[in-house]
Amino acid sequence: MVPTAIREYVRPMSVDDVWAMLAERGKAAQVIGGGIDAHLYAVPDVSMLIDLTALGLSYVRGEEELAIGATTTFAEILEAKPARAYLGGVLVDVLEQVASPLQRNLGTIGGTIGSAHPWSDVIPLLLALGAELNVHDGRDRSIPLTQYLADRASCGRPLITEVRLPAPLPQSACAFEAFTTTGFDVAILNCACFVALDAGRCGPVRIAVGGTPALASRVSALEEAVTGTALDGATIDRVASLATDAIDVRDDRRATADHRRVLARIGVARCLRRVAGELGGTG
Amino acid sequence: MTITLTINGCRKTMAIEPGERLLDLLRREGYAGVKIGCGTGDCGACAVLLNGRAVNSCLVYAAKADGGEVITVEGLERDGRLHPVQEAFLDEGGIQCGYCTPGMVIAAVDLLSRNPNPTETEIRQGLSGNLCRCTGYVKQIRAVQRAAEVMRGGGCDD
Repeated sequence: MVPTAIREYVRPMSVDDVWAMLAERGKAAQVIGGGIDAHLYAVPDVSMLIDLTALGLSYVRGEEELAIGATTTFAEILEAKPARAYLGGVLVDVLEQVASPLQRNLGTIGGTIGSAHPWSDVIPLLLALGAELNVHDGRDRSIPLTQYLADRASCGRPLITEVRLPAPLPQSACAFEAFTTTGFDVAILNCACFVALDAGRCGPVRIAVGGTPALASRVSALEEAVTGTALDGATIDRVASLATDAIDVRDDRRATADHRRVLARIGVARCLRRVAGELGGTG
Repeated sequence: MTITLTINGCRKTMAIEPGERLLDLLRREGYAGVKIGCGTGDCGACAVLLNGRAVNSCLVYAAKADGGEVITVEGLERDGRLHPVQEAFLDEGGIQCGYCTPGMVIAAVDLLSRNPNPTETEIRQGLSGNLCRCTGYVKQIRAVQRAAEVMRGGGCDD
């Protein structure tokens, strides 16, 4: 048996009970969905695991706007018709490549956001899609995913109860690209681009890049460079060149910063070309 | 703490440690078909069906399975007859050292329960969480194709 610091495992029936336990135990308590990260990245100070799977948060609701419960597994999302149909099937395209089938039966969408791994393929996709989170921190509220990720280092973490994806705009598309050393490895760099067209001009635009090796974030310089354009081939080439310098990349053991700069340019170009193709453009 | 599990159709109440893995519990209870491999969810040798879904039992807390149903490779036979996936692995030679076989069979059973007529690509994707160090996966893929055919009622008698 693998040695562990876990001394209590509880499965509360209400969000209020979970929050009360977190308030009482502080850093000694950890919430889990599938529990994968609690195994792989065990925190020595954590002695209590709070399993969220009895809260009734495993669902995919809605037809246009999607509401996905925090403990919904990736396999359950992939099997949900509304999720499969969302924005040309972009959720399926990405989630089918996340981890293995065995892990997708365990891993949850709330868990992957809460863990916020820099290499996550899911987080840049959700950023590009404009995801919002329903959270609980003594009260229920809704916050953009961008805010949750920005606040997590400084303000403590509210409990994620639901992920909401907005109804797709009439003429819109999203594309995702990830670069890995092997099919089994995590991304050296990944990016997702969402573009809506209004009277032939781009806007709103959301472009997120992750694995830089920092946690994924939106890149406003690229978004601004696309907004208002017709997303033609020349625009895509210009924005892709801009990506080389606009994205803050670093060296780590997986790749050098120089390698990542090249990948950023290629990734952004591929995503924008795919989006342009889906929107009937010339990109 | 105490949990109750239905393992291969047999309901059991067992004392566990709160941080214990389902993998360790199952092996302690004698289910040796559940193999210890990487311990990090990469190799799939420890796969079991938990409430009908194939999972890495090395990544599941035993406490999480409380009240649920587990099927290990030992629980796939019916009345002394191997599961069609097991038969197909034997018939197609999809086994070499055998260490990955239980997990691969479990993953294939899960795949075929949801997709009775998978393409080769879908089989490859369905087994992508199971590593085999001996073979090139070709015979396992053929075995799943054969099992799918048999389970759809198109198998032969020989």
